[in-house]
Amino acid sequence: MSFIGFVIGVVAIVSGVCVVGLRNPLYSAFALVTNLLAMAGLYAALDAHFLAVSQVVVYAGAIMVLVLFVLMLLNLKSESGRKLGFIRSAVALVIGCVVLLSALPPVFARFAGMSEVTVSDNARDSEGTVKAIGQELYTKYVAQFELSSLVLLIGVVGAVMLSKRRSVTLQPRAGGLVGGSK
Amino acid sequence: MFELLVLLIKVGFVLNMALVLGSLCTWLERKGSALIQDRVGANRAGAFVQSDRWYVKPALPLIRMMGWLGVINTLLCDSVKGLWKEDFIPEGTSKFLHAVAPIIAVLPIMLAFAVLPLAPDFNLFGYYIHPRVAPIDAGLLFVLAMGSVAVYGVAIAGWTGNNKFSLLGSLRAAAQMISYELPMGVVFVALIVVYGTLDVYSIVEKQGELLWGIVPKWGVIVQPVGFVVLLLAGMAETKRGPFDLPEAESELAAGYFTEYSGMKFLLFWLGEFCEIALFALLLSLLFFGGWQIPWVKLPEGVWWAALIGHIVLMSKVVFFCILQIVIRWTLPRFRYDQLMNLGWKMLLPVSLLNLAVTAIVKVLA
Repeated sequence: MSFIGFVIGVVAIVSGVCVVGLRNPLYSAFALVTNLLAMAGLYAALDAHFLAVSQVVVYAGAIMVLVLFVLMLLNLKSESGRKLGFIRSAVALVIGCVVLLSALPPVFARFAGMSEVTVSDNARDSEGTVKAIGQELYTKYVAQFELSSLVLLIGVVGAVMLSKRRSVTLQPRAGGLVGGSK
Repeated sequence: MFELLVLLIKVGFVLNMALVLGSLCTWLERKGSALIQDRVGANRAGAFVQSDRWYVKPALPLIRMMGWLGVINTLLCDSVKGLWKEDFIPEGTSKFLHAVAPIIAVLPIMLAFAVLPLAPDFNLFGYYIHPRVAPIDAGLLFVLAMGSVAVYGVAIAGWTGNNKFSLLGSLRAAAQMISYELPMGVVFVALIVVYGTLDVYSIVEKQGELLWGIVPKWGVIVQPVGFVVLLLAGMAETKRGPFDLPEAESELAAGYFTEYSGMKFLLFWLGEFCEIALFALLLSLLFFGGWQIPWVKLPEGVWWAALIGHIVLMSKVVFFCILQIVIRWTLPRFRYDQLMNLGWKMLLPVSLLNLAVTAIVKVLA
């Protein structure tokens, strides 16, 4: 992690705040794209090039484009007047605290010098991150890999089923060929 | 410090090359389209220059010739006109996004050049130089990722246009780019299966070998189907040629950049032509051996061999630029359903089948 990593981290945090803070949903989506790209930048700063590129391809390139599509088509207006209720704010606060607390220990462990060996060192030792990831994925985690591919397959089949038109059996109209709207 | 200097020089060189190739494509487009349509084309600006100044006179024949060829018109007049035009911003839209969209459309294309090697590695004054900016091992994927990021520029541009035509154009463009990315990615996977690496440099090096000792192991010979699929998908990605539905003049005014004028419009224009150059570079690197000359083995690590390799690569790139422009001006535009059918029902299954066959052959051989 160098100076560049620090800068990208700041960008990630600022854009993350923007995702929540901006009132126009389209701007929030753009901020989220920026956040995802910044995350990719963080991976790249840690020498995990393959992970960074996959992040861009999958999240920024595919998923967020679809989200943007929907937002643009719906043409949503910014929700300036709406306020969150007490219960919603409380739930959001609790979830936020839990996520933050679960993320903190590794950070402090890093500062305490407990995790000396980082992923990037391992990756640098092997012939590149692609090979390292592939080896891990197809030997150690092959069961999980196959399971996730099964989940993806279910998703594909579900998408096809949902988008398929209902099979309408075409009946000849009552009026015969001359039919039409009378 | 020295490394930083070398890096800066490399960045400058690659960026410059992208821009020069882009402007070369602009000129080829202007004059080539005229040639194909049996017109004369741009030939006025600078063609009738008269001057008695001593510092202009020796250059007069050159200036006049450039004028006749349309070089001055396309490179000088167009850009100056773009710079001086009114910068129109439509009402009721985000000024910031309107300004940012062309940059987002161009930047990823420029970035994609960073991972592509331009010549074999060589020694210069005792330093070993890799002629590419970012030697990352997932180079092919990076190009694909940048292609998918470029969708945002188009999408935002159409949305900030604040009218139906622009939005329709950008939706068409985004749908088209996403659809044709899939066969492109599958073809890349087939190539990776054949050459066993994601690194573009190693792919080019492996194309220097001979297949059965006779034919060069070029991508186009081991992956002919992949080449055709990538050619079609890549032309659809550049949103030109028979695939220019996003800017179909007869239906959508000018599509997603209808509301753009001046330099912002020219940025889209530039991005489009740089994309042509990028795609030509990709085709010649992946399928036509990059800097390899068939049956000729250049010495490794020598600067003049690298120079020859670079020239060979660039001539292939220019050939593919010309090919794309000729296709663009020869074929009529698709209908939108034809476009989607071609992408999803033809190219994707064919590329998947190609991948399966490639994998089987690879395992058996």
